[in-house]
Amino acid sequence: MNRRAFISLAGVGAASAYVATKIGKSPEPALAAGPAGKSGVAILKAASYEVDLVRPMLEGARACGLDVKGKRVLLKPNLVEFDAATAINTDARVIAAAYEVMQRLGAAEVLIGEGPGHRRDTYDLAEEAKYFEALPNFERVFTDLNRDDVTAVANFAGEGRFYFPNTALRADLIVSVAKMKTHHWAGATLSMKNFFGVVPGSVYGWPKNKLHYVGIPEAIVALNRQFSRTFAIVDGIVGMEGNGPIQGRPKQAGVFVMGSDLVAVDATCCRIMGIDPERVEYLRMAADMGHVRANDIEQRGEGVASVRTPFELIDRFRKLRLS
Amino acid sequence: MAEVYLARRRDFLLRTQNLDGGWGYFPGKSSWLEPTAYAILALHGDDGASSELTRAWRLVESWQLPDGSWRAGAQVPDGTWVTALGVTLCSIRGDARDMLVKGVHHLLRIQGAERCTTFRLMELFGLGKIEMDTSHPAWPWRPGTSSWVEPTAHTIVALKRAGKLVHDRWIWQRVREGEQALLTRRCADGGWNHGSASTFHIDAPSYPESTALALLGLQGRPIEVVRALAMAREFWKASTSPLASAWLAIALQAWGENVPAPDDSKPPREDTMLMALQALAHPQGNHGLLRTRAAL
Repeated sequence: MNRRAFISLAGVGAASAYVATKIGKSPEPALAAGPAGKSGVAILKAASYEVDLVRPMLEGARACGLDVKGKRVLLKPNLVEFDAATAINTDARVIAAAYEVMQRLGAAEVLIGEGPGHRRDTYDLAEEAKYFEALPNFERVFTDLNRDDVTAVANFAGEGRFYFPNTALRADLIVSVAKMKTHHWAGATLSMKNFFGVVPGSVYGWPKNKLHYVGIPEAIVALNRQFSRTFAIVDGIVGMEGNGPIQGRPKQAGVFVMGSDLVAVDATCCRIMGIDPERVEYLRMAADMGHVRANDIEQRGEGVASVRTPFELIDRFRKLRLS
Repeated sequence: MAEVYLARRRDFLLRTQNLDGGWGYFPGKSSWLEPTAYAILALHGDDGASSELTRAWRLVESWQLPDGSWRAGAQVPDGTWVTALGVTLCSIRGDARDMLVKGVHHLLRIQGAERCTTFRLMELFGLGKIEMDTSHPAWPWRPGTSSWVEPTAHTIVALKRAGKLVHDRWIWQRVREGEQALLTRRCADGGWNHGSASTFHIDAPSYPESTALALLGLQGRPIEVVRALAMAREFWKASTSPLASAWLAIALQAWGENVPAPDDSKPPREDTMLMALQALAHPQGNHGLLRTRAAL
């Protein structure tokens, strides 16, 4: 039995032990070469959720050459749990702005879908997070991905047959509208980890323990290989530091980070958060899919240095700190 | 008022049954065992729904797999935790003994993967450590994965009901172990969440719906659930989730508490599973079908 199989058996609890053994190992093997050319990633300042979010988001989308004309777009927020005292979920106003931006850019249809990993009542979670208030037509455009009809795909993460929600499979473009947070198993949860929410609870349960069996970094990468027509908008206006993704503290970074190379978007977010992306395991594993190295990423809008906001890291991830 | 509340949900269920006899999670969607099971429980004993119930039962019969488990849905032929619901339905009908026995034996074979020998040896030799007590076998969402609160609670209810009809001492042994597993996974606040009471030694909060389900599984253990029942009463007052409220009403009534009829002023969501659970949870609904005795 190898280490991954052990983690598989242990599920969530053992993931901590696994992570503890994985970080801080040095030297790491060299990063895989990424795709040809550079990836554009836009960083836009937004001081709060009260300001006009549509304008900077439109600027970012245009800077990244986002083309949604005639497409069926699925916005995938990060809805996890609700706690008014902190900042767990993608803010409803960011989703509302993204909805408007996709419409203005000519999308044929804009849908919203999410399948939270712990809570069963997705609609109540959305209500608490004020999604119904921010989007008057929310119920009409929203799909609970945990309870959507599904279709099997072959050979996902070594599984002969793995089920995904039809709403996600049929989208021409999935926009991961994620939250900028630290994560106590993965180091950070950004646009790529957000794809855990497309795995249906009706088949895999709450939590989606099968993904822990695949391995958390491995599952993040496999999901992003499966869903490759994607774009990212990371809500870093107020993110979460410390013991994320649920029990951390709010941290204002005052930015959106956007792009079509999700690896590059997450690497950029890490640099903003003061995390070395080249030491984050899932990004290392995804280095053939997109760009991790700063030299391969063309920053548009703001530069990383001008918005850098170090997020507090829990002890076991201090070694990820960008020097 | 009760008549209007229940009739609205009954009519919804009758109107949204699929041609194959099952129900989707939402109207117009393909059939899944979970909403189908709750719809059958909600309509149980309704003479005006006998043809719908017959069609639904035929689907449930056809979805049992050769190993005794039940498939999750029309598009998902895999046997999952919903086997517990299949067993509960068989116990309630009382005339499907072969299916019941096969289902029970399947449930008795299943346990969370954290119990496998290799894992336990690796844990013993310090190659990994988890923050939960894994000494009591419980049930996973899918075979071969770890055990969690909700599938464990549903399976305990199923086995307690089946234990009246199928005589096998392992049933009660597994029930007692399952109850212990639930008790060891209680959150510090006295309730339950999905099954991780703490992460990195930081306590996690409980959820109303998981607390309700754990209380259903722990029927007959009054001393151990005094705090949890108090928590459930608080959740009942405060919860904004219609789903959680329905499960809390079912659980509190299973524990002999009176629950007031729900407010029906807000139009219900077009959500089949929720409608069925709300009908089941109503004081005049069939919530008693999930009432069980204590483990022997």
